[in-house]
Amino acid sequence: MNPLPIPAADPMPLPAPVWLLKSLLLLTFFLHVLFMSGMLGGAVVAVTSAIRGETDKKFAMLARRVVGILPVLMASTITLGVAALLFVQVLYGQMLYASSILMGVAWFALIPIVIVGYYGFYWASNKSSLRGLGLGVLLVFVVGLIFTNNMTLMLAPERWRAMYSAGAAGLHLNFDELSLVPRYLHMMLGSVAMGGLLVVILGLREKKIEVRAWLLRQGSLWFVVATAANIVVGFWFLMTLRSEVRDLFMGRSKVATALMIAGMLLPIGAIVHLVLGLSGKKADRQAMAGIGAAVLTVALMVGMRDIVRTGYLNPVFRAGEMAVSSQWGVIGLFFLLFVGGLVTLGWMVRKVAAASQQKA
Amino acid sequence: MNYPVWQLGIPGGLLIAFIAVIHVFVSHFAVGGGAYLVLTERKAYRENDAALLSYVREHSKFFALLTVVFGAVTGVGIWITIGLVSPEATSSLIHTFVWGWAIEWVFFFVEIAAILIYAYNWDTLDKATHLKIGWIYFVAAWMSLAIINGILTYMLTPGTWLETKQFWDGFFNPTYWPSLVLRTLFAMALAGVFGLFTATDLDGAVREKTVRWAGRWLLIGMVLTPLAGIWYAAKLPAFAKQYFLELTSPQHTVRMVLACTTVAAVLALLAMIRPQWWRRPVLTLALLASFAALAGGEYLREFSRKPFAIANYIYANDVRVASVNEIADSGGMLKHAKWLREANGSLVDYGHQVYAMQCSNCHSISGYRALRTRVRGWDPQFAAAIVPSLHLTRGPMPEFAGDKQDAAALGTYLATLAPMTITIQSGNEAESGQEVFEMRCAMCHSIHGRMRPLSLAGGDVDAIVTMTNMLPDVNPQMPPFTGNDSERHALAVWLSAQK
Repeated sequence: MNPLPIPAADPMPLPAPVWLLKSLLLLTFFLHVLFMSGMLGGAVVAVTSAIRGETDKKFAMLARRVVGILPVLMASTITLGVAALLFVQVLYGQMLYASSILMGVAWFALIPIVIVGYYGFYWASNKSSLRGLGLGVLLVFVVGLIFTNNMTLMLAPERWRAMYSAGAAGLHLNFDELSLVPRYLHMMLGSVAMGGLLVVILGLREKKIEVRAWLLRQGSLWFVVATAANIVVGFWFLMTLRSEVRDLFMGRSKVATALMIAGMLLPIGAIVHLVLGLSGKKADRQAMAGIGAAVLTVALMVGMRDIVRTGYLNPVFRAGEMAVSSQWGVIGLFFLLFVGGLVTLGWMVRKVAAASQQKA
Repeated sequence: MNYPVWQLGIPGGLLIAFIAVIHVFVSHFAVGGGAYLVLTERKAYRENDAALLSYVREHSKFFALLTVVFGAVTGVGIWITIGLVSPEATSSLIHTFVWGWAIEWVFFFVEIAAILIYAYNWDTLDKATHLKIGWIYFVAAWMSLAIINGILTYMLTPGTWLETKQFWDGFFNPTYWPSLVLRTLFAMALAGVFGLFTATDLDGAVREKTVRWAGRWLLIGMVLTPLAGIWYAAKLPAFAKQYFLELTSPQHTVRMVLACTTVAAVLALLAMIRPQWWRRPVLTLALLASFAALAGGEYLREFSRKPFAIANYIYANDVRVASVNEIADSGGMLKHAKWLREANGSLVDYGHQVYAMQCSNCHSISGYRALRTRVRGWDPQFAAAIVPSLHLTRGPMPEFAGDKQDAAALGTYLATLAPMTITIQSGNEAESGQEVFEMRCAMCHSIHGRMRPLSLAGGDVDAIVTMTNMLPDVNPQMPPFTGNDSERHALAVWLSAQK
């Protein structure tokens, strides 16, 4: 009997080289995280603003604006998440299906939870319901927790057999994993920071100088506080990683270490830019630089996350060792249609932007 | 064998069906409804009808809210569910068609963006651009159907893919075109139903006009769908066609689907001729009839594919067809099933695990497709002997993938589910004989009909009794007769009396 119950590789070869699938996985996941964090963080900002807005009109205005874009952010999050889920399945299906089944109830529950949370945001957006907003935020936090559970459980095949023997009804979660809580908090705090950036972006688009300055200040404040806290949580996360993976970031791997250093410096840079933007001149440029640094940080984090995944799986499973038989014709067709889709999307968005400007 | 089994107590197949049917209901509406939106909008402009325009505006918001959230998330939900229930088959589909899904995803994001822009920019965009975006939505939505249709139909009729393993051979398979036409027509019918849904509570002249208009969509869709259904049925694989001839469950479902389609078509006619009669109760009936027709159709498609998840490639219990012999001949499940729990020495417990891995995707113990009623009276010896021949019994069953020990374990477990002894009443042997027949023979044999008929009418009772002693010699796939002598005799008396 196999000591670790790792499913055998699918007899069908991978239909594309690993680098291509991996690139698309990382790209779509990066975009997914951008929208997800904007949505989740934006919703957190909106809830607190809506509560403060009962006595302060400015906060009510802020809440209204953020809530208005939550449904679109949610739609983008899901759409991009679907792509990432597709590519993670083709590369890591063996691990992911097994861990999903062990926590089948929670994994299945994603479907109703996302639907209700999504409608909560629509409810909040169409009827300015605080209850709908609160429900949406709460459920999105639960969705994140379920994902963190599965994304760590798929890396821990050494726990699988004991879990399955203890019960096969799919009621497990992965709270035995030391890195689970800091990993989850790291993601969630990062999202709150990105919610702050969303407010900064709203500020940059605002024409009334006074409102604009207030929005920039509010957004920057959220970003700075959340990011400062997140640097601490990030260290906690690093300390809870399995030692051979942690070592990669502390010198053993040059790439991982460079990412680690850049990943610490960039958010500090973003904080500096945003704070300078509040106090000094060229507020716009500073804010833009801050946003750029933050977005780049997210990209680095996505890369580091992949190093963690590969490092954890390395002793038991390597995507690079799977057989490959590329379907180049279909791949070409996909890229052709993908470009066509982007052009169509761009055309539609431009039309709407132009028309709204004309109206205004 | 490769993956753990999610043992929730209800068959996983039922869970997939549940999510899939509600998704398909909304997603077909999302396709047909796209054409309905733009054509209704165009009609409103052409006829300069402000009331109709205001209706289609409201309808578009309802449409976006239903399709973007519920339609899209339940679609992802199917993925999540099939990964939980049939990971082996899902992995195979993903490896074969990841680029098909990637292409579908392109249409998906265009579709989502287009409908959100369409539904929420009636006042900002000029008429021509707004209509164009509506068309973009419809084309993208239909294309995503056209892509997923290739993957879905492949599962039932993989065609030449089984030999070539080439993407397009699997994609443009024998049922691709009939299924695409069938689904497009049904999407049109659903556009009508949902058009009626939002039109029912309108006031004034626009109400009758809209009810007539939406009714026409429903009528055309419902009249043409069965014709496409015939085309589709003609392309079914031979094993599936056989089910429709032999088994009552698909036969009843076909009747139910036709009845529901007829009801919906008649109601559509009513909407066109007497729109003033179109009220909520009628609407409810039309919604129910359409939903039942669709659910029945999906059930038939799933049933036709039994015992496979991917025809002739992976069984519905996630066992690969090609690996059955290897598992049976070299080491059985002890060697091949990675997720067997440590044996605690109990054959029943081991048998329960075999059940979980090979039966529980389709069978529950006492609920849906209950085993308890199917193994009534089985004893361990009989059960162990019949398990390897299950694919020869009535109804679509996969081959058993295991060795003698696995069959014995499963048999021992199954024998605990519904033990029964038949008491032979001395004055009424014939009636008891029928009971014996039901318990020991009827899963493979009938008296008349198609299923291995036993024509022993007028046969010598003693000769029949002798034969029951040597069943495995008559046919090695037959289990031994494990009843006692009085059962044998009663059975023989009864068989001999059948005409």
